[in-house]
Amino acid sequence: MSRWLLGRTVQAGGTFIVAVVLMFFVMRLSPGDPLARVVGERQISEAEYRQLQKRFGLDQPLAAQFGAFVSGIVRGDLGTSISHAPSSVNSLIRARLPASLLLGGTVLLINFTLGILIGVWQAVHRGERLDRWLSFLSLTGYALPSFWLGLVLAWIFGVHWHILPPAGMDSPAMAPDAPWLARSVDVLRHLILPAATLSIVTIAATIRYQRTAMIDALGQEYVRSARAKGLSVREVVWRHAWRNALFPVLTLFGLWLPLFVTGSVFVEAVFGWPGLGALTADAIGGRDYPLIMGTSILVSASVVAGTWFSDVLHMLLDPRVRLG
Amino acid sequence: MRAHLALATAATWLTVGCAPERPANTSIVIPTGVLATSPVPTLTRGRSQNTRLAELMFLRLAELSPALVTAGDDGFVPALAQSWERRDSVTLAFQLDSRAKWHDGVPVTAADVLFTFERARDPAINAELATVLSSITEVSAEGDGTVVFRFDRSFPEQLYTATYHVQPLPAHLLANLPPDSIAGSPYMEAPVGNGPYRFDQRVPGQRLTLLANEDFFLGRPGIERVVFLLAGDADARLNLLLSGEVDVLQSVAAVDVPRIEAEPSLRVIAMPGYTVGYLLFNQRDPADLDQPHPILADRRVRQAIIHALDRKAMVRAVYHDYAEVPQGPVALPHWIRDTAKSGVPYDPAQAKTLLRQAGWRENDNGWQRDGEPLTLSLNYPTTSRGRSQFAQLIQEQLRQVGITLELVGLDGPIWFERRGQRNFDIDFSAAGMDPSPSGMQQSWTCAAIGGSNVGNYCNPAVDSLLESAIYGKGNGLATWQAALETIEYDAPAAFIYSPPAIFGINRRLGNVELVPYGYWLDLWRWTVHDGAAPDATD
Repeated sequence: MSRWLLGRTVQAGGTFIVAVVLMFFVMRLSPGDPLARVVGERQISEAEYRQLQKRFGLDQPLAAQFGAFVSGIVRGDLGTSISHAPSSVNSLIRARLPASLLLGGTVLLINFTLGILIGVWQAVHRGERLDRWLSFLSLTGYALPSFWLGLVLAWIFGVHWHILPPAGMDSPAMAPDAPWLARSVDVLRHLILPAATLSIVTIAATIRYQRTAMIDALGQEYVRSARAKGLSVREVVWRHAWRNALFPVLTLFGLWLPLFVTGSVFVEAVFGWPGLGALTADAIGGRDYPLIMGTSILVSASVVAGTWFSDVLHMLLDPRVRLG
Repeated sequence: MRAHLALATAATWLTVGCAPERPANTSIVIPTGVLATSPVPTLTRGRSQNTRLAELMFLRLAELSPALVTAGDDGFVPALAQSWERRDSVTLAFQLDSRAKWHDGVPVTAADVLFTFERARDPAINAELATVLSSITEVSAEGDGTVVFRFDRSFPEQLYTATYHVQPLPAHLLANLPPDSIAGSPYMEAPVGNGPYRFDQRVPGQRLTLLANEDFFLGRPGIERVVFLLAGDADARLNLLLSGEVDVLQSVAAVDVPRIEAEPSLRVIAMPGYTVGYLLFNQRDPADLDQPHPILADRRVRQAIIHALDRKAMVRAVYHDYAEVPQGPVALPHWIRDTAKSGVPYDPAQAKTLLRQAGWRENDNGWQRDGEPLTLSLNYPTTSRGRSQFAQLIQEQLRQVGITLELVGLDGPIWFERRGQRNFDIDFSAAGMDPSPSGMQQSWTCAAIGGSNVGNYCNPAVDSLLESAIYGKGNGLATWQAALETIEYDAPAAFIYSPPAIFGINRRLGNVELVPYGYWLDLWRWTVHDGAAPDATD
């Protein structure tokens, strides 16, 4: 088992390194001048342009830039952002990560509690009217573009009814000495709309995966045996069927783990949520090489870690994986 | 079950019904697409967010008066300097206001001004600024309160040159730092200034807060706390204003104005801006920059394109009544602009005549010369909503006279890269300018080819006129006008629009004055009327 785990870990590490190196070169070879944002609409001279290139190391050959990048990684220094200079990439990521973790974590929590509960309920009550309605509603949510839904919710609850803030993570006008509870409630109020938007457009996948796996499990011999033994419905469903219907959902969880880190570009933008998704989109739009690399490393790491995590969970829960 | 219901009700009340109250003090919130990173003037000429914020914390020696005339010594009002005197044609002396203090309580002295100009004139720190200040030969102090500037020659914008580009920095905090280490110093994170607002805190990725400088020597600011809130998306910023979460929205799109006007608690203020949008004609062949452009090198073709464009109608379509067609490369607030001049008229018949004179023949497939069609491409950044709209209208108007225009919408950095490489037929540019018209030299003179003059336009007569206008050899305004008329005749570009800066403002704010070259310069004079009835007369 430890050999299997070691093999998987080495494979994940290799994938991560290849992805990061590829991203470095593909990004620099793609068209676009990273100084566009810095210059903006000012008319600048050739001398100032050269000075800016030198300041951000863009006048160096590609190999030298790669060397500086690798040496920075070794030191734990991802460099200075071009668009946000003089802020370091490390500080920008540190500042944005908590917001992404809060939003992504909330959405994952909603998806993998409510989604599983609904999926299991629908499997048990397959074919009933409410099952059909829930399938219709969840798939409708899945089909909605997140930015559109976000704009609509922000307008209805934020602008029209004034009951929830339409953007931001907290109220900037709140008194600096406001008590902790008031601040927490304030953040919670700001979290509701982006979390609801992301949950509505993503929960259908969890529900469908869980429902299908559960229907399959409920038809298995061991479940029929459990029923025949006279166990209660709750015991049959949750103790016998659900444990075996969990694997596909675990795979999905691994694939969605990056959401925990990056949030969603569109939803963060529409709600002015100060997370990594919006920062990454901004970095890509401005060709901010150091910042793109910083966020890409984080995304790659979370994708690789998510896959590794679901593999390991599978192995722990299903002996066929480690014995096969 | 009841317990669950009660819990759910309580949670809902807490989160939905428990909106936080604004603090009792006078606090305002301004959303911004990009948060200032180092609002320190002079040493860094970075993004406009830094510059604008710096104007709340650092004073210039003098500010432009509302007429915005940059020539001569009369069009200025005191700021850090309480007065100035002209000693001779190349010498200006400023008397600093003895009441001025840095936010840490240390008095502002001539040493601060000397230190700042020493750094500002160092090309290794800021090449662009050093060039702008190159006409200053010496800055010296007479005691703690007087600063004397000497210039290399006599010219009308000496006072502007000495005051506009440089805001003094505290020598007692920075003089001991090596020039190349200031950018990474803690000072840049929490700058100490001398203006109406002092730095409070910056929450990266979220907000930056300034507090009123209660000891500000020109008067106590009416607003105690100014919060710049990061909201990258334009729709999110608009929603924040409409919901009352923020008080001021800058850069409002003309299309959003009706939504703001429909909200009784808000009002709209439009102000002329120092930006000009124009179609820049490449006079060199993008495939071989040593060769003239096969189509656009001919002035008659460029003039024909301008005649074919109904610029007034286009400006009305995109900006409604807020923008105007500029006279040459001059924005609406520029003092050299002659409002009586309407520029090149919309005249499709004249456009066709000019094309015929240039050897083009019209047939069912449009214009052709030597078997080659009159087809051009227009590069524009898709990140600019205004230019994207204009591009569609321009394509249609040129189609009506038989000119084929291919639209090439590009991501901002790619558009910028191609512009720098001169890789375009026509480039949809937008130039943000200083209040001084002398900046025209950067883009429209022969010497600027290879730098900002990416269209490769060169007319020695224009160079000479601009030189005369800037250095006061001719008849001031008349010389400027002659230069503008020559540029319009040469048609190196089709000058399309000079857009306004549109603001959405909550009516609880009073005494609101916005300055075209520094939006927040007068913010310290604003007032807040919490709980007061909306002021319909504002």
